[in-house]
Amino acid sequence: MIVTKNWLNEWIDLDGISADTLCKTFNAIGLEVDRHEVIRVADGVVVGFVEKCEKHPDADKLNVCQVNVGSEVRQIVCGASNVREGIHIALATVGSELPGGLKIKEAKLRGIESHGMICSSKEIGLPSMGEGIMILDPSIGELVLGKNLNEYGAFNDDVIEIELTANRGDCLSIHGIARDLRAALARELREVNYKEKQDGRLGIGRILQLHHTDTFNADLLFGAIEVKEFHVPFAIALRLAIIEEAYTTTVDALLLYATQSTGVVLRAYPFEKFGDIETKGIITLENDEDGYAALYGKEKVSVIGVSQLKEAHFSANEGLVVIEASYIAPDIIAKKMGDKKIPSCPHYYRSSRGSEPKIDMGIRYAGSLFEKYSASQVYGGNIELTTSYEPRIISMCEEEFESFIGLKIDKTTITQIFKNLGMDIGKPKGSTFAISVPKFRHDIVNKQDIIEEVVRIVGIDNIPSKPLVFAEANQMNNDLNEYKKTRMYRQRAAQSGFYESVHFVFNERAQVEKFGFTCTDVSKELINPITATFDTLRPTLLVGLLNSASANVKVNQKKIALFESGMIFDTNRHESKRISFIVSGSMESEKISNAGKPAVIDFAAFTKLIADVVGSFELVSFAPEHTLAHPYICAKVLINGEKAGEIFRLHPQIEEEYDLGQTFMCEIKTDVLAYALVEAQPYSKYQASYRDLSLLISKELTYETIKLAIQKYATVQIRRFYPVDRYISESLGEQMSLTLRFVLQSDDKTLEEEDINVAMDAILNGLKEELGVGLR
Amino acid sequence: MQEWYDAIKSADSIDKIEEIRIAIFGKKGIMNAEFARMKDIPDTEKGTFAKELNIHKEGLNALLLDRKLFLAMEHLQASMKAEAIDVSLYSPTSERGSLHPVMETMDRIVEYFVAMNFSVQTGPMVEDDFHNFEALNLPKYHPARDMQDTFYFKDSMLLRTHTSPVQIRTMLSTKPPIRMIAPGAVFRRDYDITHTPMFHQVEGLVVEEAGKVSFANLKFILEDFLKTMFGEVNVRFRPSFFPFTEPSAEVDISCIFCGGEGCRVCSKTGWLEVLGCGIVDPNVFKAVGYENVSGYAFGLGVERFAMLIHRIGDLRSLFEGDTRLLEQFR
Repeated sequence: MIVTKNWLNEWIDLDGISADTLCKTFNAIGLEVDRHEVIRVADGVVVGFVEKCEKHPDADKLNVCQVNVGSEVRQIVCGASNVREGIHIALATVGSELPGGLKIKEAKLRGIESHGMICSSKEIGLPSMGEGIMILDPSIGELVLGKNLNEYGAFNDDVIEIELTANRGDCLSIHGIARDLRAALARELREVNYKEKQDGRLGIGRILQLHHTDTFNADLLFGAIEVKEFHVPFAIALRLAIIEEAYTTTVDALLLYATQSTGVVLRAYPFEKFGDIETKGIITLENDEDGYAALYGKEKVSVIGVSQLKEAHFSANEGLVVIEASYIAPDIIAKKMGDKKIPSCPHYYRSSRGSEPKIDMGIRYAGSLFEKYSASQVYGGNIELTTSYEPRIISMCEEEFESFIGLKIDKTTITQIFKNLGMDIGKPKGSTFAISVPKFRHDIVNKQDIIEEVVRIVGIDNIPSKPLVFAEANQMNNDLNEYKKTRMYRQRAAQSGFYESVHFVFNERAQVEKFGFTCTDVSKELINPITATFDTLRPTLLVGLLNSASANVKVNQKKIALFESGMIFDTNRHESKRISFIVSGSMESEKISNAGKPAVIDFAAFTKLIADVVGSFELVSFAPEHTLAHPYICAKVLINGEKAGEIFRLHPQIEEEYDLGQTFMCEIKTDVLAYALVEAQPYSKYQASYRDLSLLISKELTYETIKLAIQKYATVQIRRFYPVDRYISESLGEQMSLTLRFVLQSDDKTLEEEDINVAMDAILNGLKEELGVGLR
Repeated sequence: MQEWYDAIKSADSIDKIEEIRIAIFGKKGIMNAEFARMKDIPDTEKGTFAKELNIHKEGLNALLLDRKLFLAMEHLQASMKAEAIDVSLYSPTSERGSLHPVMETMDRIVEYFVAMNFSVQTGPMVEDDFHNFEALNLPKYHPARDMQDTFYFKDSMLLRTHTSPVQIRTMLSTKPPIRMIAPGAVFRRDYDITHTPMFHQVEGLVVEEAGKVSFANLKFILEDFLKTMFGEVNVRFRPSFFPFTEPSAEVDISCIFCGGEGCRVCSKTGWLEVLGCGIVDPNVFKAVGYENVSGYAFGLGVERFAMLIHRIGDLRSLFEGDTRLLEQFR
């Protein structure tokens, strides 16, 4: 909603109130100021009158004008197509400086001297008002030749754009905002805008009548105007340009202006849509095929509060016009549109948020404008259909104000606030008020709405801050625990060299399906994705990380290590939490210690990084369902024997396709990760012994198999064992040597050589028996 | 004797010192030889001779030790010098990663409210109409429910447009009093320079018995919170409108870039909008079957906080996993 200070001043006395104070007041009462712009045309731009206008002898498109500026007549060369004799214009005189730094100087155009410039609205810093120069008229005030334009209110104003909240339809007009200001500023409204003269007019009842069977909860008022010689006055055209309202016909322009001023929804129809003058025009109100209250003439012309049929618009600039002012309760019309949507016109915005119910004000204001600015004749009286309004009464006691606001507000202040807001509030009975809500404040339905009015007008700044006194409670619930657990793993990941990244939970279905992931079931898929690349919920965090890693390569990053902790979705859109990692390219930055050639990430280094974050795990070979992984460098991650996720090198073809070097990825279920307090185990006080076994095994034999066999034959003294070396050489052929280190210990004594030999022999015999494997 | 003193003084290696020591104090050394001469010395002179010899013995011994220590020190110095490195080559380049600025900001926000005895609550991202809209006094025909703003699924479920459904779930599953926050991702169908289809919110709700919670309480906690997050800023409340609170307010802080003078970031207003809040609308309590209660609620966008606190200019850059941004938060 855009207002100007002068425009507002026509509806409420703003004398002595600065634009800054006005903006502060708006913000304080909940009308958020989005923009404040000062319109002040530069000094030296004056009113001029074109006395003569002749073609330039040497230029087709130029005119040589003699412009009277009061004290003298100046010769101006003007290129605008709409310049002509007998019009008032804005002349930038020599020495004036226009917006953008253009200084007006003496000039010669194709040999003819020019002492100034006739201006368009844009040239003097106003919004565009169409092609050509501005043509002034007395709607801005008496035109005094030579007078600076900035001495006229229209050219010296403050434009304030207010971002209205959805509940405040009552402020969708200059009058509505003035009404709200009345309470905040304690100023009077000016009620002079729509006084009606009734003398000697032809009554509307002679030419038009309304038929209806029901009221359909709508208020309707019809007037008629014989429009003659009507041009949009400059002052109105300028204001419509400031509020960025476009119009096609002059009648449209005036009604738009009247609606913007009063808040009343106004429409114009050519009279002939309803019949002819001799036999009277007939307007019929009835339900249309969609169940909306609609108006009919010979055919349907409009749906009340929603739309006007294109053919029923008054598109001429003269003739007999029927003006309709209407009001329909916003909740009724919005609910109807919610249930069964039909096409709507711009007025619907207003009627669905609450247009001005005082419809007679709108129609009279429009009539008065036609009379003021043209020879148009307004028919006397109106044809009216109104529904009765029973105001809502809300009772509140004094203490309730204090308990909601936290500040004691006395009875007199409360009474004054509601009087100024235009709400009836009788004398309180004891400490109880009965506040009656006017029709224009349909948003006020309960006590808290009433409280809000007091808060707005008293000002939140004047409410003290008070800590709440409450009973302490233990708030350590599961969600907090889960949150802290995730935070711990995130911090570890950051500590281990990974950058945390956050991706949208959307993936491109085609991309993730190509990689073999299963997406959201088609019957549960998104209807309205934001783009084709975000058209499904992500079934994995891996693809987002892959895309980001690839984007990093494109900006020449050599070391990429990212992780993300977040939700993924299964086919039923059930969420589960993952933490996923990607490392690509170098393991560290280039530096003196690596001679500028940092090692490239490999499987061993990547698994170590992941173990630094998630703790120890076991890897077993595995073929995943998706196709992201290198088929021979891919493992299932087991944590405490439970499947926790997977770890793999990216498929070389995908590495190439995404411009990535050697790349490793890992995705882990956070559920499986530990976040419990550690319970210490008893440990042996006796020395441990170490023994190595170098086994000669087939290259095909995996450590997994050997491990299982050893576990089967290990005695209690074998506390740990792990591979430490692998030896492959031509002399060993298809076999290789694998060295395992065993840690032996007893809880009762230091192991003797003999004890150790017994334990190791048991393992060797077991390996021979199970796998036919022996010492090298 | 004097030549031995000179020999020790001029010895230039530990080995040489050892040689000299043996020559003086060894079995066949001169000291033993001198003492052997004692028997030939007349008794009257014996005392003087022995005394003199003992002085030399001590003197030479002390000088030897001295010289040995000196040479050892010299040797250590030389070998350390040989190990010298150019330390300036090794200015550390940390290989640590970082937490995402939005997540880290969320952590700080959660930390504040946990310290204020709020509980943390979570809920699903795929929501139904009741929890996301209906129960929050957003009836079917409310403009905020336009298809433009909400992501819908074919089975009429939707992606939550705010974290407020978590309030509803918490109220339905527990009894007042309630002090909770709900941090999490939310979704709106908007994608331009200042909007992303996903962003993060932290929502807060306090419910107590009727008449207990006032607007003044809401003012207190939010002023304190904003000063904790942004430092010494001015806080301004503007009346506003949200369907789920009444009265409602938007909260601004004085612009942290210009100190309130007016600049590009605050659109010359001197204020930055950071929060929405209000007294819980009675219709919300009605929807969850609460009676005789009062409460306040607030909600904020985490990205907005992170961008202001860390001076990040481009919202969309937060979701691109771009190392050039992330490495700055190490």
